[in-house]
Amino acid sequence: MNNRLIELREVWKTYRLGKVEVHALRGVSLSLEEGEFLAVMGPSGSGKSTLMHLMGCLDLPTSGTILFAGADISGLKSAELAEIRGRQIGFVFQTFNLVHTLTALENVELPMVFQGSGRSTRRARAAELLERVGLADRLHHRPSELSGGEQQRVAIARALANDPKLILCDEPTGNLDSAAGEKILETLKGLNEEGRTVILVTHDPEAAAYAKRRVQLRDGQMVEAAKEILR
Amino acid sequence: MIRDYLGLALRSMRHRQKRSWLTIIGILIGITAVVALVSLGQSMQRAVNKQFEQFGYNLITIYPGGLRGGYRGPYSATFEIDTALIAGIEGVEAVGAMLYKSAYVKGGEPPDQVEGFLPVIGLSPGIARVFSQFKLEQGRFFTETDRYGAIFGKNVPKDLGVEVGGKLEIEGQPFEVLGLLAESGAGDNNNAIFIPLETIWEVLGDRGKVSMVWVKVSQGYDAKQMAERVKARLKEARGKEDFSVQTIEDLQKLIGQAIGILQAFLGGIAGISLLVGGIGVMNTMYTAVLERTREIGVMKAVGAKDSQVMWLFLIESGLMGLVGGAIGTALGLGMDILAVVITKRFIQTNVLEFGISAWLVFGALAFSFVVGALSGLLPARSAAKLKPVEALRYE
Repeated sequence: MNNRLIELREVWKTYRLGKVEVHALRGVSLSLEEGEFLAVMGPSGSGKSTLMHLMGCLDLPTSGTILFAGADISGLKSAELAEIRGRQIGFVFQTFNLVHTLTALENVELPMVFQGSGRSTRRARAAELLERVGLADRLHHRPSELSGGEQQRVAIARALANDPKLILCDEPTGNLDSAAGEKILETLKGLNEEGRTVILVTHDPEAAAYAKRRVQLRDGQMVEAAKEILR
Repeated sequence: MIRDYLGLALRSMRHRQKRSWLTIIGILIGITAVVALVSLGQSMQRAVNKQFEQFGYNLITIYPGGLRGGYRGPYSATFEIDTALIAGIEGVEAVGAMLYKSAYVKGGEPPDQVEGFLPVIGLSPGIARVFSQFKLEQGRFFTETDRYGAIFGKNVPKDLGVEVGGKLEIEGQPFEVLGLLAESGAGDNNNAIFIPLETIWEVLGDRGKVSMVWVKVSQGYDAKQMAERVKARLKEARGKEDFSVQTIEDLQKLIGQAIGILQAFLGGIAGISLLVGGIGVMNTMYTAVLERTREIGVMKAVGAKDSQVMWLFLIESGLMGLVGGAIGTALGLGMDILAVVITKRFIQTNVLEFGISAWLVFGALAFSFVVGALSGLLPARSAAKLKPVEALRYE
């Protein structure tokens, strides 16, 4: 597996808060092959989330280059970025971010709605994905009727909806107890073993231990490119 | 695709049920008012058309006052006119004259005697031939020999307490009631007493004067051309144009225009309330965008394009407009039915009839959807323009 999925070259991200400039990322370079399981670690304020947003094509860098599947994303329009997010990336957030007016099934269908896929294929795929994360009996429950762990599993099913190459997780276990968190991490590991690329943003070393490769951020810079550690 | 968006829009409306309904009520009131007024106007227009059709389009009316003076109603102006001259014009089948007056009338015997002022209308013998469908419900018309015979409008027996065959006094002169008119669409006629023109001159004065003249055009002659011909002859004979000649069609158009203006004016006022409803939609949608900022961020993260987010909100606001419009249209038509029932029961006339016009219903529905969608346009744009990262971070 040496297809390069993401490459960041000297990426800077600067926010302007009034007159103060905040450098969230200061020249980060990083590359990721398809099929990797990468943990991005670092204390809060280190720029982890910013890095995740950039790798997830949710935002564009202030300077530097980001290649996604070989293509430079910096010149892309918002609709083109949306297209990449919709087809190639699945997101899992700390706060689950499910749409609370929709059932589990409909939440998983949502990314497919925006890709214009048909109702019956959508339904079938969403049901299949929920079954895979062990929620076959929760299809018609709303987020408020589900536990945190269950909600996060719905979110993982949603992330898989359009069969993306990359799963991006931002502190996915941050709001869960350790048992539920472990289950989520096992699921992510399983996805990676199927060949999917997984990026896990976390400050928790135990969670990071599930990844095959770890990088550490501090004050917007990479402090050590962690060695390959076999679990 | 649209169906999926509709589903999503319905979900979020149901989630904020109370607010959605209040917003919908805003649209609903506006549409109700517009539909009720337009529909009522249409009923009026239909009623007017029906009346004119009953008259027949082969009639011409002549009344005093030139073009500049305008028409001030049959009670305010009279003129002397040579009806024989008109009757002699080629293509004129019959000529009838009417004189409108108001007189002190006494009916019944003491102690049940009723007295007061009522409209009294003098009819020349020709009138019966002009209005062949001047229908009597009871009794008969007066002939040349019935000098002191009277015919009652539909409501007079009740007002005066005198039936056909009974007696009454007009300015002290006794009359015999010969007949009763069927209900007339021209409301005045229902409350008037009709007597021969010769007699009204004798009893109430103004000999030789009339309020208006009706001309019936012979078959095969065009009413419009005949009106021009009558006008030319009269002008020639009188030396000036101190009168107006109009066909029934002209009158119909004139009244139609008046109804149209009234309708436009009232519709405009109703439109203002619709505007207020639209602003209500805008307000609700702005709040919805704010509340759902995070949700919008999530949608964008899972691949929604700006345009898709925009459509989602547009459809939601359009849907609120449409629901308000549908209920409003039904209520508006209901109010029109109510108006018809009220006129039947309390004004005792059958002239207003209820009817649904398809273009009004579809127009109102389409319009309310557009009002909703337009009001949602700005909020939807601001939703679409949200940056995904900022939207996701929004608490």
